[in-house]
Amino acid sequence: MTDTARRPSFGSGWIGLRFSRIRGGKPRGPRAGEEKWGWLFISPAVAGLILLSAAPILATFAISLTHWDLLTAPDPAGLDNYAKLVNDPRFLTAFRNTAFYTIVSVPLGMAISLGLALALNQAIAGISWIRTMYFLPIVTSTIAIGLVWSWIYSPSSGLLNQFLGVFGLPPQRWVADPFWAMPAIIGMSVWQGLPANTIIFLAGLQAIPSGYYDAASVDGAGPWARLRYVTLPLLTPSIFFTGLLSLIGSVQVFDQVFVLANPGKPTSATITLVYFIYEAGFRNFKMGYASAASWILFLIVAVLTFIYFRSQNRWVHYQ
Amino acid sequence: MMSTFMGSPRGRLPGVAVAAIALIAAACGGSATSSPASSATGSAPASASAPASAGSPSGSAETAYSGPPATLEYSIWGDPAEIKNQQAIVDDFTKANPTIKVNVTVSDWEPYWDKLQTGLAGGAAPDVFAMDGPLGPDYQTRDALLDLTPYIQGENYDLGQLDANAVKDFTTADGAQFGLPRDLNVIALYYNKKMFDAAGIAYPDETWDWAKLVDVGKKLTKDTNGDGTPDQWGVYTETTDMENAWASFVWQAGGDILSADGTKSALDTDQAAQGIQFLQDLIWKDKVVPDPAIFAETGDAFEQGKAAMEINGSWLVATHEAAGLDFGIAPLPKGPASQATSVNPTGAVVYKGTKSPEAAWALVKYLASPVAQEKIMALKASVPVNKQILSTTYASAFDGAQVFADALSYGHLKPSFKGYNDFNTTLQTELDENVFNTPSKTAKEAIAAVNPQLNQILTENQ
Repeated sequence: MTDTARRPSFGSGWIGLRFSRIRGGKPRGPRAGEEKWGWLFISPAVAGLILLSAAPILATFAISLTHWDLLTAPDPAGLDNYAKLVNDPRFLTAFRNTAFYTIVSVPLGMAISLGLALALNQAIAGISWIRTMYFLPIVTSTIAIGLVWSWIYSPSSGLLNQFLGVFGLPPQRWVADPFWAMPAIIGMSVWQGLPANTIIFLAGLQAIPSGYYDAASVDGAGPWARLRYVTLPLLTPSIFFTGLLSLIGSVQVFDQVFVLANPGKPTSATITLVYFIYEAGFRNFKMGYASAASWILFLIVAVLTFIYFRSQNRWVHYQ
Repeated sequence: MMSTFMGSPRGRLPGVAVAAIALIAAACGGSATSSPASSATGSAPASASAPASAGSPSGSAETAYSGPPATLEYSIWGDPAEIKNQQAIVDDFTKANPTIKVNVTVSDWEPYWDKLQTGLAGGAAPDVFAMDGPLGPDYQTRDALLDLTPYIQGENYDLGQLDANAVKDFTTADGAQFGLPRDLNVIALYYNKKMFDAAGIAYPDETWDWAKLVDVGKKLTKDTNGDGTPDQWGVYTETTDMENAWASFVWQAGGDILSADGTKSALDTDQAAQGIQFLQDLIWKDKVVPDPAIFAETGDAFEQGKAAMEINGSWLVATHEAAGLDFGIAPLPKGPASQATSVNPTGAVVYKGTKSPEAAWALVKYLASPVAQEKIMALKASVPVNKQILSTTYASAFDGAQVFADALSYGHLKPSFKGYNDFNTTLQTELDENVFNTPSKTAKEAIAAVNPQLNQILTENQ
């Protein structure tokens, strides 16, 4: 808890975090000489951040106030692009789809990863082999994963339909079906995202000193009580971290959808915000419109992240 | 189907593979334009394009290139077979014009446009590149293409030697010529001879109409293993682009896609609705065309020997031959109003910022010349545009070639206008979702729902 109190507010947060690590968390202000060296050492990272992130973000904002087709000179448009976006049915569809994806895939992915991490955190023979197996998706490209999952979801000869057939259930059209398309993509994404979250959870689990469990056992806590009152509270920093990454990643979902479903074809249930931006800019020559959509996406991510950061005082426990 | 994405009628690779390549290109292209540098370099093409008329066009159409040595970048989309074809033609060109070096670069449909747009924005587009008929105006109106009129006039180049429809796609309203057609994509009816013979049914011919297609289609749709799903379909076609089938049905019913002046959607007529409805009925009422989802992953059912007929384009002849099919080609069945089919040219256009406009023109001209067109014909890749080839050797090039050549007389040009992609995406999403993939709306209802948006897009792009 003490760490959060000193953590700088969101915005300068990332740089501030690094400083607090450099200073080793000692409760005193930086000396002027140290501050200078600190900035010098991080200058490559800061320069990269300004040139490759901050400047394009600002440029995008400027572009969002124009009608620009990429090839001829932009016309000033004021807030016209933003006004049009909120009435564009395709944008609203993309917004709804992305919200659905995020709301379902983030908690689902984290719950399964946590369960997996708990299961893999056992001292049994060959556990490192078993862990390696579960981590395979992390070294596999989304393209390859998409190819395999498209076979699984194939309406005519797919594995999943054959599996359903064993139980006498009717075959589904999965990514071609407006109802099943997004759940099918979430299924693949959750599977693909498992190892990254699981590694973090595993590391978090192994960092919990066994003394806590011993003490809890002495006090009469059973396995469930130890999980509920020792493991989970001490794992909250890991949960917070994976939650943040999953949240940001989900709102920006693109490649899984693009590879597996070909957004908008055949169903608009798979159009996501980032796909909408790509389509507007690179297919329909509307860079200003795409930039405006990017900014709305940026604000959504920023607000969600801000709320999420603010919430950590209430549920994240640092040892 | 999945691989025909954003108006590409040429889906031959599995959707995922196409998407995969596209994704990589999108990632590369994306990083190039999302940097602030793009706005700075955006001015490059304007300055580079100024000396477009520096070299004075010289000589007649027959004289070889006599300008300074040049190296051209020639970009095309296509599958490996098309790469080989175009490379062979380019090799002949450089042999005849030794001072010109040509680098052919090939992409899949999707990344092709990503790369082209970022290249144009950054002032580094290829000197000559392939252009899909419908998308031409999107580039021409944005000042990306070199006006070839001075070269055509300077040499008295005869545009009349090329199919008139094909030329029209690269001509502006005020008569300027931005590129020449290279080949044609024409839609016809493929049929599997073995399946017809086995059923004792006469092959399709020019007397067929819609009713006959449905009738024979039903007879040739068979569930041989009795699992409730046909193992042999009567007709296969693709629903995700107007070109493969439904635009032809609209014209056959007497409707059209756009109003005559191109400012409004013409889909909100009974005739247009009837054409689109026919495709829905083939899938969901008559059940002779498979539910589009079934072959979305695996591709062409006709090529796999799972369909007796296919309504699709001339680009498939070589593919079907390679698949070892014994097939024939017939005209599309007549509709209630007339005989009609879709004709869509691919052209070669010149980048306005090219440093070697004369060499580029020489290449564009060569691609449409009888020699190059003969080669296109021999490779069965597409229908040639050069009338000399069309009227002489083409008809006997392969069994059915005459059908494609004849179709040019009753073919309708696939619509080509600024904002085509936006229009097509909006329209197809509605049709795919509610008409073809799930029959939740009739064609008429779907058009009524989407037509205001279509008109809005057309207005914005006027």
